[in-house]
Amino acid sequence: MITSPTDDRRRSALRLMVMSVGIMLAFVALSISFWYIQVVQNATYREMAENNHQRRLALRAPRGILFDREGRLLVENRDAFTISILREQTGDLDQTIRMLAAAAAVDEARIRDTVARHRSEARYRPIVVIDDATLDQVAAVLARRLDFELPGVVVQRVPTRRYPAAGLAAHLLGYVGEISEVQMSAEGLRTGSLVGQSGVEKAYNRMLMGTDGERRVMVNSVGREITTLDETPPSEGQRIKLTIDLDLQQAAEDAFRALGYSGAAAFLDPRTGEVLALVSLPAYDPNAFAAGIDRATWGRLNTDPLRPLQNRATQGRYSPGSTFKAVVATAALEEGVITPDFKVFCPGGATFYDRFFQCNVKGGHGVVDLRHAIERSCNVYFYTVGNMLGVDRIHKWAQILGLAGRTGIDLPNESESIVPSTAWKKAKTGEKWYAGETISVAIGQGQVSVTPIALAEMYAAVANGGVHYAPRLLKGINDGSGWRDVPGSEAAGTALKPGTIAALHDGLWLVVNGAGTGGRARIEGHDVAGKTGTAQVISLQGGKQAAGKTDMDLRDHGWFAFFAPRDHPEIAGVVLAEHGEHGSNAAPIARHVLDTYFAKKAGRPLPVFPTPAPAVVATAQAGPAPAVAAQPR
Amino acid sequence: MFERRFFLHVDWLLIGAVYLLCLIGVVMIFSTSPETPRPGAPRLYMTQIYAIVLGTLALFVCLRVDYRSLADRSHVIYIVLLLALVYVLFFGLVRGGGRRWIPLPWFNLQPSEFMKIGLALVLARLFGESRRRTPTGHELAIGGVLTAIPLVLIARQPDLGTAMTLVPILLGIAIVGGMRLKVAGILLALAIVATPVVWSYGLKDYQKGRVLTFLDPWRDPRGAGYQQIQAQITVGAGGLWGKGFRKGTQGQLSFLPVAHNDFIFSVLAEEHGFVGVLTVLGLYLFVVLRSLDTARLAKDRLGTVLVVGVMASFVFQVVYNVSMSAGLAPVKGLTLPLMSYGGSSVIATLAGIGLILNVRMRRFTN
Repeated sequence: MITSPTDDRRRSALRLMVMSVGIMLAFVALSISFWYIQVVQNATYREMAENNHQRRLALRAPRGILFDREGRLLVENRDAFTISILREQTGDLDQTIRMLAAAAAVDEARIRDTVARHRSEARYRPIVVIDDATLDQVAAVLARRLDFELPGVVVQRVPTRRYPAAGLAAHLLGYVGEISEVQMSAEGLRTGSLVGQSGVEKAYNRMLMGTDGERRVMVNSVGREITTLDETPPSEGQRIKLTIDLDLQQAAEDAFRALGYSGAAAFLDPRTGEVLALVSLPAYDPNAFAAGIDRATWGRLNTDPLRPLQNRATQGRYSPGSTFKAVVATAALEEGVITPDFKVFCPGGATFYDRFFQCNVKGGHGVVDLRHAIERSCNVYFYTVGNMLGVDRIHKWAQILGLAGRTGIDLPNESESIVPSTAWKKAKTGEKWYAGETISVAIGQGQVSVTPIALAEMYAAVANGGVHYAPRLLKGINDGSGWRDVPGSEAAGTALKPGTIAALHDGLWLVVNGAGTGGRARIEGHDVAGKTGTAQVISLQGGKQAAGKTDMDLRDHGWFAFFAPRDHPEIAGVVLAEHGEHGSNAAPIARHVLDTYFAKKAGRPLPVFPTPAPAVVATAQAGPAPAVAAQPR
Repeated sequence: MFERRFFLHVDWLLIGAVYLLCLIGVVMIFSTSPETPRPGAPRLYMTQIYAIVLGTLALFVCLRVDYRSLADRSHVIYIVLLLALVYVLFFGLVRGGGRRWIPLPWFNLQPSEFMKIGLALVLARLFGESRRRTPTGHELAIGGVLTAIPLVLIARQPDLGTAMTLVPILLGIAIVGGMRLKVAGILLALAIVATPVVWSYGLKDYQKGRVLTFLDPWRDPRGAGYQQIQAQITVGAGGLWGKGFRKGTQGQLSFLPVAHNDFIFSVLAEEHGFVGVLTVLGLYLFVVLRSLDTARLAKDRLGTVLVVGVMASFVFQVVYNVSMSAGLAPVKGLTLPLMSYGGSSVIATLAGIGLILNVRMRRFTN
């Protein structure tokens, strides 16, 4: 077939035209596609691109620093390093965990556990797998070229709590820990936040926490940081000044340790309610919690029969024993049931409602008035007066003096102190009150059960003449603009009659300075007034007493409640020596703290707790009970 | 004599558009290269500029020699390139999973890029110098064999992308060369019928995986679908006006792999937005339409089909690469002619442009 050149040309021109049109259509289609992707869906893709290359890193705010009342450091912050896994950036999580465990020489299973626990969180949120990494671990991880062998492993520097006097005032200061699920929803904080879990750390958590900052960084495709886009620096939490006096706190704990007692103590300024020292022993080291506590330590603290995590001063409840007699005396005088001159003959016991109640001295005290009944701690006197009062009036005055209920101290989870009443018993058991029960209550036994802090507040009230203030730990706040005092606690209670005050003060003064049981707290020239007491352990433990308990465990607890000086009290409080047998064994602890207090005030060198006498050591440890002449309740 | 004709008849507009695209390419390559390169590493945009200079020489040679005499010697060129492809298969430089390059002192030569020109020449001669109005079955068969040999050689490297660009050359030349449309229709029908057969027996599992991943890239967002997803994100993040020169995060932070090479258009889309995309697409369309116009104006059928042959692979690559750069086509190692980084691609493409200019310039001569 021979072609005609013109036909041929026309045909190829036509086909070229069709081809051109086809190509144009293809380009138009491409343009429309790009328009759709780039302009219509721009926002979506822009966000995806940002998620690709931007990472938000939380900068943890240092918690506020805590000082004692004189500006001495109690809690500060140190830099710790955490090692985290950022799942978004790890290609092979399993391999990363394996290599990280090898590099940092930690247990692989533990890392796996941690990661598993946070499995449901967003993938771009770093999971902290090593809390307080050593410098060796940090170096080992960094040396492995983060973006190469360990992609998605991040080392961060975080401010971490440090308690310089490890264990001192542990329960008072508290500890921090990772926020729990419950707290997260309650406080609106984000996962991984460190919050106070007890003590002041918890009570003033909001203040102490500060505001976390944030750093937005640009990362490349393997997660290496290229630049910082912007940074909101964290702001430190507010600094807090506590009412605590480090010297007194130290003195109290020294004395407890020297005598080998567990227990609790509270020292208050009765004029304001400020807590000068608050002891609970045995204690723990809050530093162990600062960067996340390990399971073994946590388990040990929780299963320890001595319950070191409990703050005995605010959460432990004990029968107040003879220290309670001050309440009965106040009630009787204020209600006009007796005068201070009211006398009772004590033959060594008395019968009420067909039951014989013993006095603490077999031979009896003879004829005693109120002052001497307090001095000698005569049970028969207070059985009699208590019986005259009835339980409800005792309850009423315990409440007025701040002993019943909660004191409202600014610490979390305070226990309620119980001083029974007819209404209380009705509500609790549905039964009516028997007058015979009042007899035990009158000497602080039976159903009476109080916390050391409540008893301390009550003695502050007695010292003050009836007015008292809720114990308080917060003295000043510094939010960066200088120290600012916080308003004090409001006055509670009522002004007692002068006669009541005089009789009470005299009697309590005689306990220490007369023929009473508190002689070990005497300080020449400072008129210490106080009262010993015994909290029965065996009655508390009831039937289960004997099995598996050593002698030590079954010994009674010794109280010493006090204030000083008698006429213008500046300091009041209680000391509870667990298994101290008798209050007279708690008195030396109080004496040492008071001595320290007055030495400071006078500018004398601080006293050193005297090496305990052998008999006391024996008491504290294992030996037989010392022969104490009078063992008043 | 030559000089005057050169200035009178050479297509300055086409040259302008072509070099503008080269320049945009260099700028985008510069944009993707790190600000502080590793010491000793070659700076890619400089290499690209050298390639453009060499390509200009190639363009000049292809312009200077009459395309008819080139076509007369096309079998020599074709055979030399075939030998080069065979050589590469055994002794070539391996990089990125393919044995594609012959190492030369300045750059690594990729014979497959030049084969596009060689095949266009040899097929143009076959169909263009035929005296018949429509190619015979015999001629079509020869054309098919001439295409199939380099195609198989290149596919064995393996470089399926470049191999596939040879098919449009044959189709373009055959159709414009007068092939009956009925035959084209039959071939098309055959291809459709063959698809499931090839799917079942011809494709390896990883190749099937690629196709599946294309259809749904989120099937494997960290693996095979990664590039496609990232390409789409890159383009989409650009918006109307783009993020600005060197401001694109996807390309700059290497979320997009081989940004300077196969995904140069994505980088352009991210940094210069839809406006940049339209500008560059416009330039490409101009180059294509202007070339097809040259084909129409060519003095003889040889000229026409030669231009179509050169343009066929060009258009195929542009459309495919641009689609791929927006995640609209499966990811294949196919360059964007004139803009992508790659010496051989630039030189071969410029040489092809030289041929097109050659045909247009000689449209009035005998």
